[in-house]
Amino acid sequence: MLANSLGIYVHIPFCRAKCSYCAFVSAVCDRSLQQSYVAALCGEITAAGGDFSVPVDTVFFGGGTPTVLETTELSAILQGLRAAFPVAANAEISLEANPGTVDRNSLQILRQAGFNRLSLGVQSFDDTVLAGIGRIHRAEDAEKAISDARAAGFENISLDLMYGLPLQSVSGWKITLDRAVALGPDHISAYGLKLEEGTPLEAAVTSGQVALPSEEDEESMYDFLNVFLPSQGYARYEISNYATPGRECRHNLKYWNYEIYRGFGVAAHSFDGVDRFANTDDLSTYVKSLTGGMSCEGFRETLDLPTAMAEYVFLSLRTSRGLSGTNFSRRFGREFVEYYEEPIARLVRLGLLMQETDSWRLTERGMKLGNQAFAEFLP
Amino acid sequence: MKTSHIRNFSIIAHIDHGKSTLADRLIELTGTVTARQMENQLLDQMDLERERGITIKAQAVRLDYVAQDGETYMLNLIDTPGHVDFSYEVSRSLAACEGALLVVDAAQGIEAQTLANVYLALDHNIEIVPVINKIDLPSADVEKVIREIEEVIGIDAHNAILVSAKSGLGVPEVLEAIVKRIPAPTTDESAPTRALIFDSHFDSYRGVISYVRVMDGTIASGMKAQMMHSGRSFEVSEVGVFRPSLTPMPELGPGQVGYVIAGIKNLKEVRVGDTITDAARPAKEPLPGYRKVTPMVYCGMYPVETSEFDNLREALEKLQMNDASLTFEAETSAALGFGFRCGFLGLLHMDVVQERLEREYQMSLVITAPNVIYQVRKTDGEVLLIANPSKMPVPQVIEAIGEPYVKATVIVPNDFVGAIMELSQEKRGEFKDMKYMDTTRVMLTYHLPLSEIIYDYFDKLKSVSRGYASLDYELEGYQESDLVKMDILLNEEPVDALSIIVHRDKSVFRGRQLVEKLRSLIPRQMFAIPIQAAIGNKVIARETISAMRKDVLAKCYGGDITRKRKLLEKQKAGKKRMKQVGSVELPQEAFMAVLKRD
Repeated sequence: MLANSLGIYVHIPFCRAKCSYCAFVSAVCDRSLQQSYVAALCGEITAAGGDFSVPVDTVFFGGGTPTVLETTELSAILQGLRAAFPVAANAEISLEANPGTVDRNSLQILRQAGFNRLSLGVQSFDDTVLAGIGRIHRAEDAEKAISDARAAGFENISLDLMYGLPLQSVSGWKITLDRAVALGPDHISAYGLKLEEGTPLEAAVTSGQVALPSEEDEESMYDFLNVFLPSQGYARYEISNYATPGRECRHNLKYWNYEIYRGFGVAAHSFDGVDRFANTDDLSTYVKSLTGGMSCEGFRETLDLPTAMAEYVFLSLRTSRGLSGTNFSRRFGREFVEYYEEPIARLVRLGLLMQETDSWRLTERGMKLGNQAFAEFLP
Repeated sequence: MKTSHIRNFSIIAHIDHGKSTLADRLIELTGTVTARQMENQLLDQMDLERERGITIKAQAVRLDYVAQDGETYMLNLIDTPGHVDFSYEVSRSLAACEGALLVVDAAQGIEAQTLANVYLALDHNIEIVPVINKIDLPSADVEKVIREIEEVIGIDAHNAILVSAKSGLGVPEVLEAIVKRIPAPTTDESAPTRALIFDSHFDSYRGVISYVRVMDGTIASGMKAQMMHSGRSFEVSEVGVFRPSLTPMPELGPGQVGYVIAGIKNLKEVRVGDTITDAARPAKEPLPGYRKVTPMVYCGMYPVETSEFDNLREALEKLQMNDASLTFEAETSAALGFGFRCGFLGLLHMDVVQERLEREYQMSLVITAPNVIYQVRKTDGEVLLIANPSKMPVPQVIEAIGEPYVKATVIVPNDFVGAIMELSQEKRGEFKDMKYMDTTRVMLTYHLPLSEIIYDYFDKLKSVSRGYASLDYELEGYQESDLVKMDILLNEEPVDALSIIVHRDKSVFRGRQLVEKLRSLIPRQMFAIPIQAAIGNKVIARETISAMRKDVLAKCYGGDITRKRKLLEKQKAGKKRMKQVGSVELPQEAFMAVLKRD
């Protein structure tokens, strides 16, 4: 598959404390395991150098909480990346951080090391809500983290927010959005809580110990979000993402635009245009296999054409730009409108999908009922 | 063997009173099966029978027993089905015997079903030997059970045999009693051959195997024989006895029980109750008591996947090979597509068939609510038999609708009499009789519509009596009732497979119950769906399923698209399991909701 650029994802699976809703591969653990992880990770990156010859134009350090690691470790990993891959000079290099794990000094070091975009896991500006989901920080820590980041020279800052959380009210959510916007971030991601199987929160909700907002309230939060942020200059460019002009997350767009990316670290996923593959999601297996010079791959699938097309469709339709019929036929040699004649007709009839010349995109209602629309395209 | 040394008997008992265990002990003790071959409850062969602890098919076994008088006797045990659905089969099995062991649980006493079968046995004038089982239970009350047998059934029970089939205690006495108290068959050796078919089963290699009791004359292999009711002739290729596996013999003499194989491929040609005679020297009269068994309960069975229709037909055909009382006929439903209207002897029979289709044939089925056969008299005088509620003619052309009524016998501790009476009244029952069986138990007789029994009478009976009540019923005939057809409309469209026939007085209640149930079962869809119950054009109950509000996965886990796709695939698979009815997707359970009783 021809590609002219590559995105790189680096997974740091450590946290100070695990949040009650989290189903990510992340762990609270001691320093020595963190150190051997960093060594293994650097080894994996170095060994993969040369696999791709195209320039790397986005890098994303996600977690977990990458900033649980020492700044020197994060800098060293990034340095390793630059040594192994042709990272473009204007590359977007994002770092996820949680308030309470960074200060002005550490942020300065990280900025100087080359990270130029900071994504802060704020989730809420309501301390009761934050405590309710097991976050380690308070609202004021989040505000401080942002001012520290600005002072450290970060010009591209994103905030992660969540709605539909326990103890959250519609009015509380409005206050959170107000306070978020007042801080002037460049980008906001706002995720509705999804109860993941096996998480403490799921157990608490199932047993009735914890109540979630009603369906109606959750919907009101969603509706308010999608009116308020655009009115404040944050355009919605993907189901859960909003940005000021030119500040869309280029790395995440690669996922939606069906571009190639390479993931490093435990449970990190990669896509080379044909295969999707991922590293083992077991931390000690990951470290052991890399130390022993063995493959750390834990999953691989080659997409057949119908599956690849379905993925392409549902990923494109997550974005506000939608799907370009021309790009689809160029890529798959089939006409989007012909191949999916039935589901398209059904979705248009239900008011979930609309067409504008060459592009197909979800309507407001379609975004809200996205899964219903996406499922239609699966083989 | 001389007929004086033959004893043919069956065992009558309520479920769980220990019939199969006692049969096992008799088989064991006579050495018919070695201990190593012994599998618990040998006579109940189907897995389902073993699981449910009930007998569905009759079975037979020959025991050779050396009695205390030093003589060897041939004891033929004919096991009878223990459920009201199969009472015709029971009557044929009893007709093949001269005696019956009446097994009663020492702690439980007589139950309605036992009673029904005892009356059947008394009708056949056969000797009843009371056996009181489970006497080693702490709660056993032998004296009380003896009194009960004497008072309720009116037979002498002072010489009842006290046993514990589980431990084997008293079992040798049972064998002696069979020899001493049950009469030998009285037969006419020189009369033309007459043999009663009391059961049959299909063997894929040998064809139909008929279970027979020879009344007069003999049947030998090579003989040309004839069925007296169906008129069919055939050549006997093999006869033999059950020990318990099929063991060929040169002939079956008068009074003997055994099997006949004649290369017949279709079970329908061998009707239970028919008489086999010698084609060369036919008997004048067939044996009495034959009737053609007709289904009492009907339901629609539809494959979830329409492509499975042919497989379902094949599976039903195979089941029918061994179950002549099962009927089925292809039908079409606008909602469910192609399927079959199946007829059963009763609800248990229906359950058994459904379970076997699912288990043995891996069929995934949508089953409509069971119903009885309605007799519709039209204004033009024509009389229709309606086995499918959606086929009911429009009210304008109906003069009257008749439904089957039964005589229901309930035996219950007297504490629950009030509750049972209230329930029976609510179920449109007409009180007939109440009799004290002893100081603590009462027998109630009601005249009840069969449709109420198959709807929820039996379940309710069990729940209001905390499981103590037992029920038996027999068909009494048709009677006119104020019945109406109730339709269910989804999104303004009637769903034929959900139509039911209901008494007018209950239609509002049932309608409301049903739409509420459907509302809880049908998942939200992208538009609001009104659910209505209607009689003709009149809506009598309504609920609305509100439209789905929001359904979207917010976050992508670090480029893990596969995970996201898997979730969508799951969602799509869930949809595929639903039936598309008009614009609405219905889960399978929605159709079952109509018959769920709560």
